[in-house]
Amino acid sequence: MMFNRELKKGSVEFLVLSLIEARPRHGYEIGKMIEARSKGRIQFRIGSLYPILCRLEDRALISGRWVEKAGQRRRRYYRLTASGRRFLAAQRSAWDEFVLTINHIARTGDA
Amino acid sequence: MPDWSQYVRQNLQLSNLRPERETEIVEDLAGQLDQAYAEALVRGLTSEQAEAVAMQHVADWAGLANELLRSQRGRESAVTILQHQAEDRDAARRGRFSLLTDFRQDVLYALRILAKSPGFTAIAILTLALGIGANTAIFSLIDAVMLRSLPVRDPQQLVIMQWAMHHGPKTHSSSSYGDCLTNFGDGESSGCSLSKPFLEDVRAKTNVFSGLAAFASSGPVNLSGNGPATQAHAQYVSGDYFETLGVRAAAGRVFQPSDDTPSSNAVVVLNYGYWKSEFGADPSAIGKTIHLQNLPFTIVGVAERSFINLTPGNTYDLWIPLAQRPRLRAGWNPRQDDAGSWWMVAVARLRPGMSRTQAQGAVSLLFRNDVLYGEKPLSKAEDDPKITLLPAQTGLSGSRRRLSKPLYVLMLAVGIVLLIACANVAGLMLARAAGRQKEIAVRLAIGASRGRIVRQLLTESLTISFAGGLLGIALAFGSARALLAFLTSTFTRPTGFSAEIDPRVLAFTAGASILTGILFGLAPALRSMRVDLTPALKENARLSGRAGAGRGWFNSGNALVVAQVALTVVVLVGAGLLVHTLENLRKIDPGFDTSNTLNFGVDATLTQYKGEQLGDFFRQLRDRFGEIPGVLSVSYSSSPLLSGSLSTTGFHLHGKSDEKYSDADMLEVGPDFFKTMKMPLLAGRDFLPPEYRAVARAAGSPCSNASKALTPVAAIVNESFVRAYFSAGNPIGQRFGGGEDLEYPDPNHCNDPGWQIVGIVRDAKYNDLRREVHPTFYVPSGEDGTFELRTAGDPRASISAVRDVLQRSGFDLPLVDIITESKQIDDLLFQERMIARLSSFFGLLALLLACIGLYGLLSYEVARRTREIGIRMALGAQSGDVLRSVVAHGIALAATGAAIGTAASFGVTRFLGSMLYDVKPSDPWTLVAVAALLLLVALAACYVPARRATHVDPLVALRYE
Repeated sequence: MMFNRELKKGSVEFLVLSLIEARPRHGYEIGKMIEARSKGRIQFRIGSLYPILCRLEDRALISGRWVEKAGQRRRRYYRLTASGRRFLAAQRSAWDEFVLTINHIARTGDA
Repeated sequence: MPDWSQYVRQNLQLSNLRPERETEIVEDLAGQLDQAYAEALVRGLTSEQAEAVAMQHVADWAGLANELLRSQRGRESAVTILQHQAEDRDAARRGRFSLLTDFRQDVLYALRILAKSPGFTAIAILTLALGIGANTAIFSLIDAVMLRSLPVRDPQQLVIMQWAMHHGPKTHSSSSYGDCLTNFGDGESSGCSLSKPFLEDVRAKTNVFSGLAAFASSGPVNLSGNGPATQAHAQYVSGDYFETLGVRAAAGRVFQPSDDTPSSNAVVVLNYGYWKSEFGADPSAIGKTIHLQNLPFTIVGVAERSFINLTPGNTYDLWIPLAQRPRLRAGWNPRQDDAGSWWMVAVARLRPGMSRTQAQGAVSLLFRNDVLYGEKPLSKAEDDPKITLLPAQTGLSGSRRRLSKPLYVLMLAVGIVLLIACANVAGLMLARAAGRQKEIAVRLAIGASRGRIVRQLLTESLTISFAGGLLGIALAFGSARALLAFLTSTFTRPTGFSAEIDPRVLAFTAGASILTGILFGLAPALRSMRVDLTPALKENARLSGRAGAGRGWFNSGNALVVAQVALTVVVLVGAGLLVHTLENLRKIDPGFDTSNTLNFGVDATLTQYKGEQLGDFFRQLRDRFGEIPGVLSVSYSSSPLLSGSLSTTGFHLHGKSDEKYSDADMLEVGPDFFKTMKMPLLAGRDFLPPEYRAVARAAGSPCSNASKALTPVAAIVNESFVRAYFSAGNPIGQRFGGGEDLEYPDPNHCNDPGWQIVGIVRDAKYNDLRREVHPTFYVPSGEDGTFELRTAGDPRASISAVRDVLQRSGFDLPLVDIITESKQIDDLLFQERMIARLSSFFGLLALLLACIGLYGLLSYEVARRTREIGIRMALGAQSGDVLRSVVAHGIALAATGAAIGTAASFGVTRFLGSMLYDVKPSDPWTLVAVAALLLLVALAACYVPARRATHVDPLVALRYE
């Protein structure tokens, strides 16, 4: 099942931030993790995800750093900034609220 | 191994970026593409395949560049748009179109949401159905009466000739049949009846028309040879009438020019509807011989079914060639064919490529020459006689004129009702939107754009309005037909109008539904764009603070109720004025006794009597009718009073041919007319029997100077006539009119003897209740007329006795136009009654909707302010205080709306103008009555919510939410 574009769009920032919360990751890896964890239901191509990373970086929610490893092309890794962590916490709270409310609406049938 | 950096640089066009930043972006993207490529290789794809897989990750390089540049400048929407692009391409590849998908989703979502509130949905749809349905019904009438095309070929190429001049032409006779606007008098005059010589001149001397046809009404003709003798309504037409209009035959053939000569066979063409109803649509009717006025005519054909009539509202049973007119018309005067007799209406088809303006120039010049410099000048240069060629569609107004004002008034009324319905539903939607704030806030939180939310809400409102529109069409369908039947029920002839739900009406309904949906959906949709996320997401956000209608006095909820009340006042004031008009008309004293009087006509054609014989026959019938038990008095007149018919005549007051013309209404009356109608004679005497015979004799025979008795005809005048022309001295015995008519000398060399006043009668209305009493004189009727029978009891009980008398007369004469005088007056006032009733109905409907709107708002306000009310009561406020505050709110809204509505009504009711009688548009009694009604209704609307407020338990209220 492919998710509604609205849901995907609204949640992508939240997803990106949450995936780099534990440790920094590079752009392609973030996209692959989203696809893997959603079992293919949510897919982002490089062309779609990259501008999101740029935007988050411009808002200083994440910061990028070049990492060069032996035998590898250099890659840009992204990690959460302090304001990024605070923003993620707020998004998480809003998301929990959202899930509760949706359940409430959907189960009790009252708009 | 592809060079991904080069690949990215080649495709990604970044400009105005710092070189370091550009390098960073290129390297980052190249790195990710390289990873995608490597991963594809690991999966077992070939190098080319892996390269293709990697390249698919960025399909729109230009879009990506834009987004990166924009994001560098801090724009946030780029991500959304790029994602949409990527996903749209995915969706397109999977064979779906996102926009339609979104729309489908919106509609399905709307249906689910609306189904969850069946009460709200039902009320909203019903409210709108009433408003849209009423508008559709009235529009379909306007479509049928005013807008429908003439049922001919290329109607836009047809024109009629309308003459105009500053003073009426000096014709010696003119006739009009209600085809166009006619105003024949001493001042600005116009009309469309023209003379036969002029139309022949147009045919011969101009080359602007490809066809020119003429027609004139014949009035009722006696038709026999198809069952019992009946009356048919016929129209004389030229031989090229059907050809010019492009009307074909449904059976047989239509006229050709060869049918319209004095030596042609006498033929007729039937109207399709008449053929169906009177001949059973029998094809063997073609070729049958019928008798019109006892003269044989052959039916040669039937006009095509769609050709009901040319002039809207004027239908004819059959058509007769103009050349037959002299044979059929009793009292035919050869002067009818000269330039001073204007009795033919012309319709012409413009030659291809000829503009109306060009044709008008040629025809108008010819007309001017004819009337100014013809054998007998009919006008003066300073009167500027001219002809305008009007499009036949609008120039042939017919019955449209009678119906147009009432229809437009009704359209205004139902338009206002629809606005009120919209305001009502908008109020409901606003209140409902308050309860959906959290849902909207959550959707915004998860990424829905505000535009998307607005689109969703508008989809919901359009869904409601379209459902209302569909139901409205069903309501309109039946009511439009019934309404048209009512509006035209007093027309003496079938109008041919039919109210259908045609594509134009459906388009109107669709447009009204869309406009309605946007109107009432906009307020809540726009409000949703201002929702603050964080407070809205809180648990108790449902009915707090900034919810729904908003805080303070000047919020949309209050504004909507005030608007509804204001609009209601406008409709009610209009309805009130029309009801007042009806009352005033009903109270008019017509000047004679309208009770227990039966009017009827006797068609004496079969007797073949003329002149004195006919006059004697009618006087004998009168005597015999007078012997019927229960009959108090009988008379007859050339037309019954208040039947709509009017005869006027011009005369030189002192018989001097150099005097300017005076004019007066004139009515020919039989013996005992004033006694039967109970019109008191104020001075002088009634007519004597010899005076009737003298008139009959003079009408029937030519005279010469030698044999002419210069005895003036006896006349009885009314008070207005005396005031106008004989205010000094005693009018009895005075003479008026007469003298030689130098302008149109009678070929028989008769000098008109004029009239001599023998009596004065009280003023009485003549043809219409509204028309002021004009100077009128009554003369003895020499021949026939319509009978007036005054009875002791119900006059209808005498009808069979009247028929017996006719049978015993030796001729099987048909009785026609049987009607009581009071029904005649009822019919005269029918349209006023109809309009007053309908506008009152719509006014009350508007009031009901406004009342519901006010009730709804107050109920919502009480629910919204439950906590506040609870706190106030806990702090010591009494029930009475709470009740007063709610009622005060409601009354304040009603009063504001009433004030605005009253001011607005001054402008709108001016539009009613000529429809009103003896009542000003700013009539204070009407305004007071409407204000009082509104106050009562507003109090009723406030009552339940106010009571509910007083029952708020402070403890429960404080625990609320």
